[in-house]
Amino acid sequence: MGIVIAVISGKGGVGKTTATANLGLGIGLNNKKCVVVDFDIGQRNLDMILGLENRVVYDMVQVMDGEANLKQALIKSKASENLFFLAASQSKDKSVLESSKVEKLVVELKEDFDFIILDSPAGIESGFEHTIEFADAAIVVVNPEVSSIRDADRAIGILDSKSHKVKQGEEVAKYLIINRIVADMVESGEMLKSEDILDILDIKLLGKIPEDKGVIDASNQGKPVILDKKSIAGQAYMRIAGRLCGKQIDMKDIEMCDSGIFKKIVGMFR
Amino acid sequence: MRSNQYSVKVYETTIEDEEEFILFFETNYMLFKDHLILIKGNLSQKIKEYLNSKSLSYLHNIDLPKGRSRKALEEELEIERSASAVSVQIAEAKLKRLSSRLQNNLTVLDTMIRSGREINIEGDLLLLNRVNSGATLNITGNLIIPNVVEGAVRCSGNFMMLTASPKANIIFHGVEVDNDLLKNKLNRVELKNNEIIITPVLKKEIVWA
Repeated sequence: MGIVIAVISGKGGVGKTTATANLGLGIGLNNKKCVVVDFDIGQRNLDMILGLENRVVYDMVQVMDGEANLKQALIKSKASENLFFLAASQSKDKSVLESSKVEKLVVELKEDFDFIILDSPAGIESGFEHTIEFADAAIVVVNPEVSSIRDADRAIGILDSKSHKVKQGEEVAKYLIINRIVADMVESGEMLKSEDILDILDIKLLGKIPEDKGVIDASNQGKPVILDKKSIAGQAYMRIAGRLCGKQIDMKDIEMCDSGIFKKIVGMFR
Repeated sequence: MRSNQYSVKVYETTIEDEEEFILFFETNYMLFKDHLILIKGNLSQKIKEYLNSKSLSYLHNIDLPKGRSRKALEEELEIERSASAVSVQIAEAKLKRLSSRLQNNLTVLDTMIRSGREINIEGDLLLLNRVNSGATLNITGNLIIPNVVEGAVRCSGNFMMLTASPKANIIFHGVEVDNDLLKNKLNRVELKNNEIIITPVLKKEIVWA
């Protein structure tokens, strides 16, 4: 029986889809069976980031409507045989989702996979609500900036009131990923510190990801950055994927500049 | 003065047809001769003469006091009593509102007020958790929040206790409170003679020996 994780953010453009692709692949590389589902109906991106755009034949809506079966619609990733992908419909819009159909799909996926990662659309309307409705856990992706934090706070509030699990009196586990941290800016006080973000959102920290130029190039090429062993963002995603798979991995302090010996000497004279 | 009290038998009737009425009394004269006749309806001269000739005592269009059942009386009393209880309650509530209002129906919350939540409370609130930016509190009573406030707070109670809140939007009795005035660890905001007075509560860190 798998665990369903919704990746949410509230605000758009903070890196939900990138995080979904990389974590999915990371879990796959950790030898757990994982499926990533794009819930952003009408604006699918996950296929491009995973490099599977020309392999999409059937989408999630066709599966839910019974036009195709799940086996036909699942696409195996090129990078890991443990990772599968279920595409969103590009021609329909969010109104096609219905609670009962979403539940049926999620239950079906739970039987075959260890991890089911749902990539939520930005915003807090129906598409978002359907994504979180049957999730066991949520990963909240934020950038260290106030607008992203406030939107995430609102999204968590809705998660806490509308999720199926909460309605049954249980609690949805919530984890935080802080994305695109620039160490220099945090040090100079221009960017929010992660302690402050954790104070505001009051959920568990899953990991921090530093800003990395390689992420955009990796997305454009359809090869998630986690495959690049040298990339600092890729390493961060690998650590988070390891934590999700139950490994004990310490938090790496990426907010400190890795100041070389020269910088340290300069610092002494400041 | 001398007075006597009698119990008399009363026969009540309504005149609809003159002839019929006289005929009825003619036949039942023996039955009614000692009764007091209570007549409703149009009393014509003919009937008056007839009743006088028979020396029957009668009254015209008069409501005699009628006895009520015990149950009806009790119900009436009950309604009166509950009406007075409600008026007492209203008076008490008014008195409460007028008095110093140091405590008034306290609510204690330990939930985080996240962005987008709107909380409306009649009475006092003690909130043990944060108010995040984008959340709104509307409180009619007193307000105590010993935690960070970043959202909007509307309070119309007697006093507020707030921590230093540089990001909050605080409105006390319709007046916006300057965030710079709330710079101490804990601040007491109160209304005295139509003036908002802010006093620091915890100025210094307490050092326990």
